[in-house]
Amino acid sequence: MRRGSIVQLIVIGVLAGAIASAFALIPGWLPEPASREAGRIDFVFWFVTGICIFVFSIVAAVTVFAIWKFRVKPDDDSDGPPIHGHTGLEIVWTAVPTLLVTAIAIVSAIVLAKDDAQGADPLRVDVTAQQFFWSYRYPEFDNKESDVLRLPVDRSIVLHLTAKDVIHSFWVPEFRQKQDVVPGLNPTLHITPTKVGTYPVICTELCGLGHALMRSRVIVMKPGAFQQWATQKAGA
Amino acid sequence: MTTIAAEHQHPVHQGLPPPPRGWRRLLYPGFLRAAWMTPLFFGIGCGIVVLCRWWGGWHPIWFGEIIVLVAALVSAPIGFLAGIGAFDYWARYAVGAPTVPEDHSGHGAYSWRDYFRVNTDHKVIGMQYLVTTIIFFLIGGLLAMLVRAELAKPGMQFFDNQTYNGLFSVHASLMIFLFVIPAFAGLANFVVPLMLGAPDMAFPRLNALSYWLLPIAGIMMVSSFLVPGGAFASGWTGYAPLSVHQPMGTIFFNMGVQWAGASSIMTALNFLVTIITMRAPGMTFWRMPLLVWANFTTSLLVVIATPFIAGSQFFVMFDRVMHTSFFETGGGGYPLGYQHIFWFYSHPAVYIMMLPGFGIASEVISTMSRKPIFGYRLMALSLMAILVLGFSVWAHHMFVSGMAPWLRVPMMITTLLIAVPTGIKVFSWLATMWEGKIHFVTPMLWAAGFVSMFVIGGLSGIYLGAVPIDIHVSDTYFVVAHIHYVLFGGSLFTIFAGIYYWFPKMTGRMYNETLGKLHFWLTFIGFNATFFPMHLIGTEGMPRRVSDYAPQFAHWNMFISVASFFLGASTLVFLYNMIISMRRGAPAPGNPWRALTLEWQVTSPPPIFNFDEIPQVVGNPYEYGVPGARHAVLNGDRAAEEVKVH
Repeated sequence: MRRGSIVQLIVIGVLAGAIASAFALIPGWLPEPASREAGRIDFVFWFVTGICIFVFSIVAAVTVFAIWKFRVKPDDDSDGPPIHGHTGLEIVWTAVPTLLVTAIAIVSAIVLAKDDAQGADPLRVDVTAQQFFWSYRYPEFDNKESDVLRLPVDRSIVLHLTAKDVIHSFWVPEFRQKQDVVPGLNPTLHITPTKVGTYPVICTELCGLGHALMRSRVIVMKPGAFQQWATQKAGA
Repeated sequence: MTTIAAEHQHPVHQGLPPPPRGWRRLLYPGFLRAAWMTPLFFGIGCGIVVLCRWWGGWHPIWFGEIIVLVAALVSAPIGFLAGIGAFDYWARYAVGAPTVPEDHSGHGAYSWRDYFRVNTDHKVIGMQYLVTTIIFFLIGGLLAMLVRAELAKPGMQFFDNQTYNGLFSVHASLMIFLFVIPAFAGLANFVVPLMLGAPDMAFPRLNALSYWLLPIAGIMMVSSFLVPGGAFASGWTGYAPLSVHQPMGTIFFNMGVQWAGASSIMTALNFLVTIITMRAPGMTFWRMPLLVWANFTTSLLVVIATPFIAGSQFFVMFDRVMHTSFFETGGGGYPLGYQHIFWFYSHPAVYIMMLPGFGIASEVISTMSRKPIFGYRLMALSLMAILVLGFSVWAHHMFVSGMAPWLRVPMMITTLLIAVPTGIKVFSWLATMWEGKIHFVTPMLWAAGFVSMFVIGGLSGIYLGAVPIDIHVSDTYFVVAHIHYVLFGGSLFTIFAGIYYWFPKMTGRMYNETLGKLHFWLTFIGFNATFFPMHLIGTEGMPRRVSDYAPQFAHWNMFISVASFFLGASTLVFLYNMIISMRRGAPAPGNPWRALTLEWQVTSPPPIFNFDEIPQVVGNPYEYGVPGARHAVLNGDRAAEEVKVH
């Protein structure tokens, strides 16, 4: 391969990388994070994105270069050079992806373990999913019930999820956390909200007619305000 | 050589003898006999149900849902198959009646009518498969257009929720079970025996039966729109317990999957036996074209995995009609059990829908680049690696399902590892193109388009494989984007590559190159405009399978809908090209691509028994550029001379 070709190849690769990076950076891919878990998940997201841009740039460079340079001339009926393989190259493109995916697996496993870990002094909220609404109950506060999930900021929350009929799934995009709620299983989900605000609760498992409308809200409040709301008498 | 040719000469036959006249014609296998046998068997099914319920004292004796299940979805299709003659030979043999002497009269096509009967010629069956699957592809595509029409704006426009859920459920089921899987089976049906140097498949009658099961499955799924309560509406995944409690349309899905699944299992067994036992002399496993390797691995996947989806759908149906409580917590059932069984098929099914495409891409890229396939053995071995790993990753569809938490990390590791053999294939295709003499004719455009789109689909697969990211994007539009990049950008692009590549061989005519290229570019642009933005709205927070969504996604959804209509319209170019080329295309030479594999060494279309003499395989199938190299010797040296003249 001539030196000029290598330069051209690198230029195309850099261009492809730049275009891919623009695609990665310009639109807001992820909603504003509002939980500690979201920060960690976003880290994995950008870690994987970095690796993907790297792989994409190489593949795009080779593809574009091949399409551009190795297009046959009109009336050229000859064959290409009979190259059957290259053991060194084949070892490289087996080993490098293996290393990359291993790195992704390790990072993911660590983040998963951290997100699953129970924080100190968690607030328990019982979440009930049924066709087609969510309801919430606070055992710590005299089983106070609510149709909006209110949470104190910066406190470890553990949601105990129950489904009454079919499978539903609890998701708050800003928290990044999601958990299917299967009848008979009572899974838990850990969230530590870090930002005061109102976010949507979305059912993400097809649960029938009203699936698209099975929405609720989560309101993250300052601890004082939450305490005040939680200790109010029911109906207030 | 002439002696071999003489031994294999068959008596001149012109298809089936003309059907008898008068009332006897009603007994003659065909649509006329099916027209009375189908209602007869429907009546027998009704009778059995009513008799059993009367005898058992169950009320009401006339119970609509069970009647539909037994009479319309089981017994009437058997009547139809018996009517058109799928069982004639076996039935005669079983009762000891004289079988029709094997005169090959059910073999080959002499007029268009021969495509509308039970035909045992693998080339006819291949065409039957392709035309049927393309019809269901068009229906599935129209359903997708309806889905996008509803989603163009937030709020409800055209459909109610149940209908909308039915639209995307039937869309996915048709595309998967009635298009991608059988379209690959159809292409392979036509090509694999030719590539092996075989006169036909190992079991031609089984082959015919496996085709005729398909329209039954397809009509069942489409007709579920007509029953009370509408089509099955719990997605193609049909998760229990929701699917157990849906209106009657669900049993149309449960049973449709059985008919389509039986069809795929039969075809897969047929391919396995054909590939193992009917290779031409000299065709060792390491001399088989990669398309044959791909269909060999795919068939293994089908045979091992498909019984699991059959089981899962039977269990759902039993829960519904027999109250068995496989998946009902109330009766001690385990809802997650459904997902484990379902995905134990449906993850391998992803490879069932992709490996044959890998095979097509290998054929097209090597031939059109005029270079040997790079790393042939590693290409074959990576198919095997995908086969083995493919069975160890199913639970990556269930990272947020609430299954045993420890399963997530091992399943993540196996999932990410599949990227390695898949990567090997992508890099090897690129290396095959490298320094080649690439002819960018339509099949090559589709193959190159496939490689680039599949890279994007593979990379978004890495996101989904990493558990923490999957927790966020699971069941969002990101998943919708990913599966369309692999199944549309992957499977469909290779199906198009295969159709254009073998069109001259199948029809004996060339397709229109300009229209072919136009079709590719319109589809390529429409495809990316439709599906790429779905990644974005998915990570931003739009769930999948919803008829209504938050107003923040309105602009992108409008954009996607417009792009999808453009994409849908591009299919018209394909249809127009196929129809006019089939009728008026320029006559195709035997080997328009100057390829080395065996199917190109015979005339286009091939003779009725494929080869007038048994080919002798003497080398590898992709020896482009190697002086004097030959894959097979036929008719003395005629094949070699043809290459020289060209």
